[in-house]
Amino acid sequence: MKRRDFLKFALSSVVLGSLPARAFAKDPSIVALSEGTDYAAITRNVVAALGGFQKFVKPGDVVVIKPNIGWDRKPEFAACTHPVVVKTIAEECVKAGAKKVKVFDNTCNDPRRCYENSGIQTALKGLKNVEMKHVESERYKMTKLNGIFLKEWELYDEALSANVFINVPVAKHHNLTKLTLGLKNMMGIMGGNRGYLHRGMDDALSDVSSVVKSHLVIIDATRILLNHGPQGGSLKDVKVLNKIIASTDIVAADAYGTTFFNLSPQDISTTLTAYKRGLGEMNLNKIKIIKA
Amino acid sequence: MNNEQPRKARINIAFISQLIFLFLFLILFVTTEYRGKDEISIAINSFFRANPLVTASYLFAEKALTWLLLPGVLMIVFSAILGRFFCGWICPLGTIIDMATRKIRKKGPIRMLQGNVKYYLLLPLLFAALFNVNLAGILDPIAILVRALTFFLYPLLGYTVRSGWTGLYGLIGEKRDFIEPAYGFIRDYVLPFRETFYPLAFLSFGLFLFILFLERYESRNWCRNLCPLGALLGLLSKFSIFRRRPGKVCADCGQCADICPTSFDSEILKKEECILCMECEVKCRFHRVNFTLKRPKGAVAKEAPPVMERRVLLGGLASGFFLSRAFSFSSPSNQERLLRPPGAQNEAEFLKKCVRCGECMKVCLKSALYPDYHKAGLYGFFMPVLIPRLGYCEYNCNLCGQVCPTGAIPNQPLEKKKKNIIGAAAFDKNHCLPYAKKIDCIVCEEHCPIPEKAIRTEPVEMKNFEGKTVTVKQPYIVEDLCNGCGICEYVCPLEGKSAVEVYAKVKRKIKQ
Repeated sequence: MKRRDFLKFALSSVVLGSLPARAFAKDPSIVALSEGTDYAAITRNVVAALGGFQKFVKPGDVVVIKPNIGWDRKPEFAACTHPVVVKTIAEECVKAGAKKVKVFDNTCNDPRRCYENSGIQTALKGLKNVEMKHVESERYKMTKLNGIFLKEWELYDEALSANVFINVPVAKHHNLTKLTLGLKNMMGIMGGNRGYLHRGMDDALSDVSSVVKSHLVIIDATRILLNHGPQGGSLKDVKVLNKIIASTDIVAADAYGTTFFNLSPQDISTTLTAYKRGLGEMNLNKIKIIKA
Repeated sequence: MNNEQPRKARINIAFISQLIFLFLFLILFVTTEYRGKDEISIAINSFFRANPLVTASYLFAEKALTWLLLPGVLMIVFSAILGRFFCGWICPLGTIIDMATRKIRKKGPIRMLQGNVKYYLLLPLLFAALFNVNLAGILDPIAILVRALTFFLYPLLGYTVRSGWTGLYGLIGEKRDFIEPAYGFIRDYVLPFRETFYPLAFLSFGLFLFILFLERYESRNWCRNLCPLGALLGLLSKFSIFRRRPGKVCADCGQCADICPTSFDSEILKKEECILCMECEVKCRFHRVNFTLKRPKGAVAKEAPPVMERRVLLGGLASGFFLSRAFSFSSPSNQERLLRPPGAQNEAEFLKKCVRCGECMKVCLKSALYPDYHKAGLYGFFMPVLIPRLGYCEYNCNLCGQVCPTGAIPNQPLEKKKKNIIGAAAFDKNHCLPYAKKIDCIVCEEHCPIPEKAIRTEPVEMKNFEGKTVTVKQPYIVEDLCNGCGICEYVCPLEGKSAVEVYAKVKRKIKQ
C-alpha cells in the first residue's frame, strides 16, 4: 500500500502542478443560461450566446449527441433529457452542415423501452442525416485512459471517432454523487461493468473526461429531479425550472448546475475532483454567466 | 361409373390453407416480441387458445373455463362436426412434417406404436390434469414447435446473423455502416433483439427432431400414433357427420391407400385418423371421392373407439393418478429461488394453468425468464422461472401477461402488475461492498425502479481497514415496497455472486 500511496501522491502532484497554468488562462469559462417555456428556442439561445452551432460544427462533420436516455421513463419524470432539446440540437447541427448526427446512449433499463419511452426516438424520427441506433457491444474499444482510478476502459467507438461531441445531460439528484450532470453523463459512452466505477466514481469520471472531451455541454434543466434519482418515477420529485445552460467547460457547466439544487460546486465531489484535476473552472465568481 | 376418364390433378385447398397457417404461425412467432409498443395485440398465443388439448386439460385441471380459451371450445365443436381438419388444414407442426416427409424414405410402420399408444398418452395427461397436475403442454404439438423455435432455432438464427455482422465490423470497422440499412431491416423485423441462450434448448429441439425422425417409418407417424392433440381430435371426430365417400378403397384402383398419409391402413377408412387433407379427392383419377355431410352408402368402420375399452380407460385413469403424485417431491433449497413471472402468485394455480408454451420467455424484455428443470420438481419442467442474475423484470412492462394463452400469468394493467410480488431482495453483508469492504457502491439503489425506492441507504461513519474514518452509505431493503423485480441482483457489480439476491416470498408448498 505504501508504494501505491506514494505513486498516487506523485501523480496527483503532477496533475496539480499543471493547475497554475489554468489560473493564468486569458479567457474565463463562460456559461450561457436561457430561460423560457419554448424549449427549442432556449436551446438555440444558449448555443447562440456561445457563438452559435456553426462555431462548433463544421460542414461535413460527424456529430455525436450524447443525451441521457438511461431510464425507461416518460419525459415529464425528468429522468432522461427532454426530447425537444435533443431534437433541436440535432436539427441545428444538420443546419450547420453536419454530415451525420448520431444520438445514442448505453442505457440502464431495456434500451428499446428507454429510446421509445423517453420520447427521443419519436422526436428524431424522419430527421435527415440523424440516426439513433442502439449501441452494439462489438463497438466498444478498450481505450488507454492512464487515469488515477481507471488505467483503461471500454469506450464507444462512435464517440471516439466523432468530430464533435455534444454532451447533453439532464440535471438530477443521485444518491451516490448527490447530483448527476455533465461529468456523470459520460458514463453513457462506457461499456463493461459500469457498476465497478461506483467504487471510485470521482476519479473515474475525471479519467474519462480527460480523454474524451465534450466540445459542448448543454445541461437540460427544463425540469429537474430533486430526489430518488437518477430515475425517479414520481412527479412529486420533479421541479419545472424551464432553464437550459451551455458551456464549453464541462466543470463550469456542472458547477453552475449545482445552484439549481441550492447546492454549491464544493458539495459535489465529482465536480470538485474534476476541478482539482484541471478539467475546468469550478468557482462561480470566476465563471462568466451570460443570460441569453 | 364405368367409363370414367382419368382427370388431371387439381390444386388442393387444404394444402393452401396449411401454407397460410404456417406462414401466419411464423409471422405471429416473430411478432411475439417488444416492438416499441406497450401492447402486443396479436401473438402466437392464438394457436394455443384455439387448441382443444390446451382447453381440455385446463378444464380438467381448473374445473372451470376462461373466456381466453373460447376459441378452443369452438374448435372442439367444429371438430366434432367436421373431424380432424385441424391436423390437415391448420397444424403448423403437421405442415412441417408434410414438407419433410416427402424427402424421407419409409421403412414401414413401427409395430410398437400401432394400436392404443396414443390413448395411453392422452388419457394419463387428461386424468393427471384432473388431479391438479397439468402436463399436457409437454407433449402438445404446438408447444413442442414453439419451444424448439424459441429455445433453440430462433436464438441460433439471431446469433448466426449477428456474428456475421459483428465479424464484418472486425474486418472493415465503421465502413460497415454503408450496408446498415439492409441489415437494419432484418435486425428490426426478423431477428430477436438479443440472443438468449436457454437451458433445455437441446431437449426442446431434440423432441422436434424426434418427431421428424419418426417419418422414416411411415408418413405422419407422430400424428397417427402419438400426438395427444391428434388423439383427442380423433375421439371428437367419431361424432362427426362429415364423411368421405366411398368409405373404403375401391377395388378397381386402390390408389387411395398409397396417397393417404394417415388412415388407409386397412380396406376401410379410419375416421379418427382422417385429417381431411383432401389428397384422395384431389388425386382421384375418376372423380369418385368426395367429402359430404350425407349418410354414406356401403361399408363404414363400426369399431368402438379404443378409448372406451375398459383397460385403456382404467389404465389411463390409474396412470394419470400416479403421474400426478409420483413426482411431487421438490427440494426446499430449490424452492428458495423459485421465482415465477409477475402475477403468478399461487404456485398450485400456476401448475394447473401453465401450458409450457415458452411465449413468456420469448417475449420477456430483459431475458429474465427461463424454462425450469429443477426448481419446482418435475412438474415444473419447461415452466418459466425468473433468474435475476441473468435478467430482471422490467418495471413498466407487462408483456408476459399479455401473451400468456391461458392466464397462468394474468394479464394485468401495468399499475397492478408493478405491485405484484415476485420475491423479496436481501443483502449478503459478507459480499456487499459497503459492509464487507467499507467502500461506497449502491448501484442497486440507483437502479431500484420503485419511485420511493425499495432500497435505501444510511450513511454510517466507520474506520476503514486502513484506519481512516470514512462515511459509507450502507444499503437496506424496505420490504413493504420491494416487488422482487430483481434489477438489484442483476446490476450488482460484484464479478461473481451478487451481494443482493431475490428469494421467493411465498412458501411454495403445493396445497392439494
